[in-house]
Formats: sequence, C-alpha cells, structure tokens
Amino acid sequence: MLRKRLFALLCAITFIFLSVLCRVFFVQIVDGKSLQQKAVDQWTRDIPVKAARGKITDRNGIVLAENKQSYAVFVRTRIVEDAEKTAKVLSETLGVDYEKLVSKMRSDSVSEITVKRQVPREVTDELSKYSLPGVYFCRDSERNYPYGDSLAQIIGYTSVDGSGQSGLEKRYDEYLKGYDGEILYEADLIGKDVKGSSAKYIPATNGLNLKLTIDYEIQMICDAVIKKVVAEYSPKSASVIVMSPKSGEIYAVSQCPSFDLNNVPRDDTEFLNKVSRCNLIVDSYEPGSTFKIITSAANIEENLKGNPNAFSANYVFNSNRFRYVDGRKIKCWSTHANGKHSNERLAEALNNSCNPCFVDIALSLGKDVMYSYLDAFGFGKTTGVDYGGEAIGMLVPKSAVTNGDLARIGFGQTIAITPIQLVAAVSAAINGGTYYEPYFVSEISDESGRICEIVNPKSLRKTISEKASETLRGYLEDVVTKGSGKQAYIEGYRVGGKTGTAQKYENGRIAQGKYVMSFIGFFPADEPEYIALCVVDEPVGGKYGSTVAAPPVRDVFEGIIQCKGIKAR
Amino acid sequence: MNGLVTLKKKRKGRGDLPLLFSVVTISLLGLAFVYSASKYSAEVTYGDEFFFAKKHLVGLLIGYAAMIFGCAFDYEKYKKISLPAFIATLVLLVLVFSPLGYENYGAKRWIKVGGITIQPSEIAKICFVLFSAAYFSKEPRRAKSFIGCLPVLCAGGTVCLLIILEPNMSITVCFGLLTLAVLFAAGMKTAHFVIILVPAALAVPLLIIAEPYRLNRLSAFLNPWASPKGEGYQLLQSLYALGSGGWFGVGFLNSRQKLRFLPFSESDFILAVIGEETGFVGLAVFFALVLFVIVRGIKIAVKAKNHFGYLSAVGITCIYAIQSLVNALVVTGSIPPTGLPLPLVSAGNTSLIVFLFSFGVLYNVSRSSSSD
Repeated sequence: MLRKRLFALLCAITFIFLSVLCRVFFVQIVDGKSLQQKAVDQWTRDIPVKAARGKITDRNGIVLAENKQSYAVFVRTRIVEDAEKTAKVLSETLGVDYEKLVSKMRSDSVSEITVKRQVPREVTDELSKYSLPGVYFCRDSERNYPYGDSLAQIIGYTSVDGSGQSGLEKRYDEYLKGYDGEILYEADLIGKDVKGSSAKYIPATNGLNLKLTIDYEIQMICDAVIKKVVAEYSPKSASVIVMSPKSGEIYAVSQCPSFDLNNVPRDDTEFLNKVSRCNLIVDSYEPGSTFKIITSAANIEENLKGNPNAFSANYVFNSNRFRYVDGRKIKCWSTHANGKHSNERLAEALNNSCNPCFVDIALSLGKDVMYSYLDAFGFGKTTGVDYGGEAIGMLVPKSAVTNGDLARIGFGQTIAITPIQLVAAVSAAINGGTYYEPYFVSEISDESGRICEIVNPKSLRKTISEKASETLRGYLEDVVTKGSGKQAYIEGYRVGGKTGTAQKYENGRIAQGKYVMSFIGFFPADEPEYIALCVVDEPVGGKYGSTVAAPPVRDVFEGIIQCKGIKAR
Repeated sequence: MNGLVTLKKKRKGRGDLPLLFSVVTISLLGLAFVYSASKYSAEVTYGDEFFFAKKHLVGLLIGYAAMIFGCAFDYEKYKKISLPAFIATLVLLVLVFSPLGYENYGAKRWIKVGGITIQPSEIAKICFVLFSAAYFSKEPRRAKSFIGCLPVLCAGGTVCLLIILEPNMSITVCFGLLTLAVLFAAGMKTAHFVIILVPAALAVPLLIIAEPYRLNRLSAFLNPWASPKGEGYQLLQSLYALGSGGWFGVGFLNSRQKLRFLPFSESDFILAVIGEETGFVGLAVFFALVLFVIVRGIKIAVKAKNHFGYLSAVGITCIYAIQSLVNALVVTGSIPPTGLPLPLVSAGNTSLIVFLFSFGVLYNVSRSSSSD
C-alpha cells in the first residue's frame, strides 16, 4: 500500500513538473518576443535629440519665424551624487526654486526631472563647468519671431515644448515640427551606463521650412496704416488684408488688437484666444454696401447673357427712397431729398450706393439666379484658405429665403460673411471672372533648401465673363473717381473700390451708433494687381466707410506704389 | 547483535552514486549561476564581482563536508537524537523573535551569532523529517489512527505557526505540504486527511487577509501589468528574463535582467536568470536533472531496509521536490510570488548546507538498501 502511495506521490510531482515546463514554454517561446520587447525598453536609456522646427519666411526670404538655439536641462535623480550641491548650483544658475528641486530629487517616484527648458547656451556652458553627475542637457529650441508683433494671428505661436498652437504654426505643425532623434545607450536599472555597451545615435529629422505668399514690405505698410486708424478712431478692432486678385496669394494681413509672438500672454487665455485669431477669416459680419459689387456682377453678367430680368447699363432706376417688399418698407440710407439719388443707372447706383436699386436687381433676378451667383462667388462655404477655423458665415438657405431677405441680400444685409470671403469674391468679380482660393503658404522646402512642394494658385471656378468683369471694373473705378469712394483716389493711378457701412446688431436689434466700416479697393483698376479690404469695427467718430475705411486702403496702395516703384500713368 | 552484524555487511554497498553525482552537479551549476546572476550587482555594490560567489563557495564547501558526514554517518543513529534535535530547532525558531533575531526585508527569519546568520526554518525541515520518521518507525501502526498521527501533526503545526509569525508564508506552505507528504507516506487514512485539510484550507484566506501585503501580492499575481512598478514588478521582471531567453537563451553570463532589474536574481529568482541565459532548453534539462534526483530519492525510499529509512528518504526527497516546485511555480508566475530559495542553487548558505547534508543522509539510506 505504501508503495502505491509513493508511486502516486511521484506521479503528482512529475505532473506538476510537466505543467511548469508547459508554463515555461509559454513564457519563453510563445510570449517570448513580446516580453523581450518590453524588457529591451527598460534596458535602454535615451537622450532625446530635438528636431529643429522649420523656418517661416515671407515670399522674398525675410525670416518671420526661426529658432533660437537653447537647451533643456534635466536631472536623472538616481545618478545624482550630492542632491544638495546639485540643487544649489542649478537653482543659482537657472533661477529655479531650491527647496522644490531638492524634494523632487529626493523623491523615489521620479527618475527624471526637467529642471528648465529653453536655457541659453551660455548658461549651460556655465553649468557644465561644475560637471555635476546626473545633470544632462539636450537641445531644445525656442521659437524666435524677428517681427513678433506683426502677423501674429497668421504665423501663430507654439507651446513651450514646441508644438504649434495657433495660426500657421498649428496648421502646418506636421511639416514644421520634424522628427526627434535620440541617443540610445544600454543602462542598468538605475540608469548607470553598462560598461562596454555602445551608444546608438538616431539623428533628428529637422522640420520643413515654409515660404509664405506674404510680402513683408506690404505687411509693414499695413501695420503702420492700421496703427494710424486705431490712433484716429480707437475702434474695437481694425484689420486690413492685401491679396493678389489674380492668384489668391495673400500679401499682408494686419490686425489690431494684437500681441507679441515673442511674449505670448499665456496666462490670460481669454485675451490670448481673442487676439490670436484672425478676425478676417474666423469671424463673420454683415458686409453692407461692399456686397453690392456682387449683386452688380450678377446683373451685368445676366444682362450680357440676355436675361430679360437683368437691367441694362442704360436702365434708369426708380428714384423713390422706399421699396415695399411683402408689405414691409425698405428704405435708402439717403433721404433722396433735393434730387439726391435721382436718374440713377447702375453706374450711378454704385456711385451713390443707393439701396433701392439693388433691391430691384435682387428681386428682378429672382432667388434662383441670385443664389447661383452667391454660390459661384463662394458664399455659404469656406474659401479654403490654409488657416484653421475658417468660418462659413450665414446665408439663409435658398429653400427658406423670403423676398424680403432676398431684397436685403441685394445690398448686403441679412447675410453674414467673412472678410476673406468678400476679398475672394470681389477678386473673382474684377479679375476677369475666375475665383481663386486664397492662400498663405507658397512653398515647402527642407533644411538643405530642396523644395518639397510648390503651391500654385488654385482657380476654383468661373464666376462671370471677362466682359462683365471689365464693365464692373469701370463702374468701381468711377466709384473712386466720382462716387462715395473718393477718399481712396490717388492722383495719377487707377483705383477701383466700394465702401460699406453696416449696422451692428445686439440682441437681435440694431445697435445705435455702432457700425462696421469697410472699404474694398483694388488697383490698377484696368488690370488689378492688388486688392485690399479694410474693416474697422465700431470706430468712434466717422459714420461712413468712405471716411473711415477708404483712406487706409489708399494709404496702403500709396505705400505699395512707393516701395514697388510703380509709375504713374 | 546479529542484526547489527548483517547491517555492517550491507553498509559496504556502493549506494546510489547517480544521486550523489546529480546533486553535486546541481550544486556546481548553482555556484556558476550565483556568480553570473550576482556579478554585476556585487561589482556595483561591493566593488567585487565575486562577492556573492565567494560567500556561496564557502557555503558549498561546508555543505560538501556536511554531505560527506551525512554519507558516512549511520542514519539509524539519528533515531535517538531526532527528538532532542527537533526540540533544539523549535528553540532556534523561537530565538528568531529574541534580540538574537535578525530582521531583513521586513521579516525576522534569521538569527545572527557572531557575524554568522542562520535561518532556523531551513534546519527545521530535516529535523522534522527525522523526528517523524523515528516516531512512526517505532510503531508503524500509529499512522492508522488519528491519535497516533497527532504528535507529528502537532510538531508540524507548531513549526508552521512559528514560521508564519516571522512571517514567511512560502516556507510555511512548504512545511505544511511536507507534513502532509510525510503523513501520506506513513500511511495515514484518507478520512483523517479530510479532517486536517478542511481547516487548513479555511486558514489560507485568513492568513492572506491578516497581512495586507499578501493581498497586494495576490492581486499583483492576478494582474501584474496593473502595477508594473509596484507589486507586479518582481513578477514582470522574472517574466521579462524568461521571455528574453527564448529557445536557447542569451548565453552564460549574458543576462541583462540581472543588471539590477530583477531583484533577488541570485537567490529566490535565480531560476529566471538560468532561463534567460540558457533558454527553454536549458530549463528543460535542469528540470530533468531535478526530477531525476527526485526519482532516485523515491527509489531509495522503496528499497529502504526499514521504516525509518523509508520515511527519512521520502521526507528528504519531498522537501527537495516541494521547494523546487514551489520556486519554479513562483518564478514562472504560476502562483503568487513568495520568497523561497531554489534548493541547492540559490544563494543562501543555511539552505544550501542543510540540503547537501540531507542528500548525504539520503545516500546513506541507499547504501543499506535491500536491492543488493
């Protein structure tokens, strides 16, 4: 009987041994690879090699964003020999808190402390004289913007660890950031180097450079102009944008209030959020009279096409101040007293910016035709500009639009658009009829200068014919020479444009005395090279776009004439 | 006196030499792997890569001396000294809690006398085996009644109690299993097993709840990835080591996990280093060697001349088998981690010396076997 028991005992032991062997097989052979992978991770320590972020330049190579070489200082606590001494030196040279540092270094839970980032070279040189064990530096780049308070909304800023947070820095982060490399070396548990093991260097791939369509010369002009507007009218905000109507290349964007990219107010997030967005792209407004350009373009094109509902160039509009649409009265901003706004053809209607004429056009063309032009001119959709957060604006859907709405859309009310939409649409109306997508980045290249990508102007669709466009250009030049846009006139040069004054609404009602003044102008009027839109929000004093927003556009054009040496005719 | 004459004749038998050969082989492998597993941390901590290896070599030499003594000394003489020896170990176990006791890793498991630390629980095992064997061989029928088994049960229970108080869960479990194995081999009735197993099974959850760290270890065992830097760390590091070994291992002395990633790499977790350096094949060979020793031990028990020899052989073999298995199960993450040395291999001289001596006794039993 006892022999049997011994046999049972032996069987049991053998069985457990075989089970253990099975288990060993699973651990070593079946799961071996994945376990080993995890083990390798802990066997190696790495020092990151930061990729340098790409540069941003204007179209002529003027640097707008670059890197100032700096270093991050960190401490591997387990290698530190004298915590107090190390902390003392670090706190003295880097200006960090001594007590905090010591307690962090003594804590077992952290093996690595980032003491300070973006430390200049001179300071790390100073530090390395002490040759403290456990203190390491790694390349860290600090973004530097040579013209930090210019183009702040467009270029955008980066976080402390160098990732794009707003503007093009964010939009093109994938291109700009590059890929960090590392130095891998074998180490034991506490990070001590293992003797005889070799380090492996994986180089960083630096970020790509961006070349913008921005022309910094024009940008400087715009910045100065906006400063002047702000000084004169202390508005809530003022912006100007200059673009090429022939291609959609954006030459300049200036906005106030703004901030300094080299000194980002990170603590005041609300303020930062407000000033770091480009109003011209992410905010929409009711355009008012500048929108009459679009209504006119639709009428001229339809007239050329032979649409009987369109008005010919010689048609004289009813000079009554009022129009009644679906029982509601729409009036002109002018009193029409003493023969004002009488005997108007389309050209005069534009000169006078007479609302009833555009009500007539919009209603006569009807919603189908009007909406086909609104669509062609890009309203109700984004322009596609390469900037994050572009707004669509507000366009009453065609299915829901009433005659009253349509009548008002004719002169730029009951519709909200972004300034960039207006610039792109007016460009299409005056450049011969081609709608171009506005854009900021024209070229992407790597650090050696090899070009990776060239962005060409992108024509999206045809809006009106060259002939209609030519007629419209003539009308808009007239506006500047003899109409409401006289303030933008430049002796010896051909400038076209249109003013706009829109009332502001607060809580659904018209806010008394609050206006958005705008002027959109282009030159040379016969063959436009530049188009500029100036938007001034709630200027103090100055009731019309003609007096507030037209002079800045003229100043911008004069500045361009001067710096580009454009001759008078 | 006639019997003594015949015994003297039989003692001239050559005994189980393959057993001795295997045991010596395993112990030499132990020395090699203790050196390999400890050389880095010894170098870093003590500035001498042979620090642990030297200590182990000393233990090994003393152990061989003890084994030679065990081989030569007539095992039947232990019958008479087994009771006093057992009582002496009980005293040593109590002394652990006295000022002589030496605390390490949060447990009082050692006695320190003049710079030498010994672990009484290691000595208790062999003394208990000899004591039980002597007790049952005096009257084998004692095993048939519950009352007859009671003294052995009480002896085992007392030792378990003293060890659990240290605390040392794993040795307690091993000791409990050893007690059961000895009673089983002695022929205790199945019904009686039920009577003692049920309360024992009930005691396990209580013991786990009593010490919070055991509960943590249990949950770490169930999901080591939940706390890879905390309770799950030891187990994961052991698995990383084994996993890195693959089929044939990374080669002797090449373990990466021993670079202080794997704690207790030269003692309780040396099997993981063996697995890393020699791979699945190496571990399979090692297990085969261990199993071979166990098979020889059982064979010696079967052929033992008398009941005392039989029970001594079973007991010694079982101590070795149980402790080897529990250690392997822990290292492979099959049961919750506990600190238990791998017999004959792990650094830890008390265990090493006692095991070598025990195998000497086992060999002595084989010399007077009935086969030839």
